[in-house]
Amino acid sequence: MQVNVRHKGSITILDIEGKVIGIDALALKEIIDQQMVIADSEAGNGGKLNLILNLERVQMMDSSGLGTLIASYTAIQRNDGRVVLLKLGGNVRSLIVMAKLMTIFDCYDTEAEAIGHFL
Amino acid sequence: MGERTEQVITLSLPSSMQQADLLEAVVAEILKETNFAEDIQERIHLAAIEAGTNANKNDNRARPSEQATFQLTLTDDELTINTVADTEAFKHKASETEQAIELSLPSSMQHVYLLDVVVSEILRDTDFAEEVREQINLAAIEAGTNAIKHGNKEDPHKRAIILFYLDDDKLTIVIEDEGDGFTRKEVADPLDPENLLKSSGRGIFLMEAYMDSVIYEADGTIIKMVKYKETPQLP
Repeated sequence: MQVNVRHKGSITILDIEGKVIGIDALALKEIIDQQMVIADSEAGNGGKLNLILNLERVQMMDSSGLGTLIASYTAIQRNDGRVVLLKLGGNVRSLIVMAKLMTIFDCYDTEAEAIGHFL
Repeated sequence: MGERTEQVITLSLPSSMQQADLLEAVVAEILKETNFAEDIQERIHLAAIEAGTNANKNDNRARPSEQATFQLTLTDDELTINTVADTEAFKHKASETEQAIELSLPSSMQHVYLLDVVVSEILRDTDFAEEVREQINLAAIEAGTNAIKHGNKEDPHKRAIILFYLDDDKLTIVIEDEGDGFTRKEVADPLDPENLLKSSGRGIFLMEAYMDSVIYEADGTIIKMVKYKETPQLP
């Protein structure tokens, strides 16, 4: 798994590529936690994280990967931040549908729409 | 000097399979987890191809029902590949129509990726639909994760054994761990509204959703999962 971190204004975008399974799911959680700490230390956005997870190039995700999405969602919400999912790739959509989480996550098909969520 | 860590992974497969390819894929995945220099990786890689080809040619050609077993020993600075002649180690005899592949792993989460590799290789030349292959792959990963993490509690001295039986119409996967087991009925339903936002507890749910049947034996230390090429018609 590879993760690229980029910023657009006050929004953090993670481009995730490869297989989000096993220990890579934990690694992704650590990267997101790190971004929460960075957001918290920057007063600019009131210390909250506005996060877009771009899943377009995710080939495969297991229950650990889904667990990371959920744990991140609840942690970021708790800090008044928001997280949205962009371009559900691989098996991610069916995983989220099966786990009955479609109503929990805001999912978008284009980056412009995902950014629009925060405006 | 700290304790020298040694991890032994064994792979057993019938000589009728493209075992050189499977061994090569497994070795390539193990090498990804190491910091070996590129030229050493290349040499190990070639040795793996040779070991796979030789086992087929020399040992088992006359006895196609025999298994070829490879023992891969990984330390901090080397990976050794042994071809085990004594197939007594392979206890799970397959029936005439089946091909049996056994993978035995020390309980470390980094080895879960090997399941992905082995399942992909086994299914490569079969006519399982692409979407179905992905489901089998994920079910195997979930079961392997359960065995290593929850069953064996990542104790490297305990092993997870994964058996694959490939038949004309189906693939059966049997996963054994050395843990205390569990009771299926006591596992919380992840679709229960109060569990929806829990970050864990979906592994078994996904295995059961992706496979045609999942059976728990020996107090939950053995899980047997079956996927048919054609979805079976319920009576």
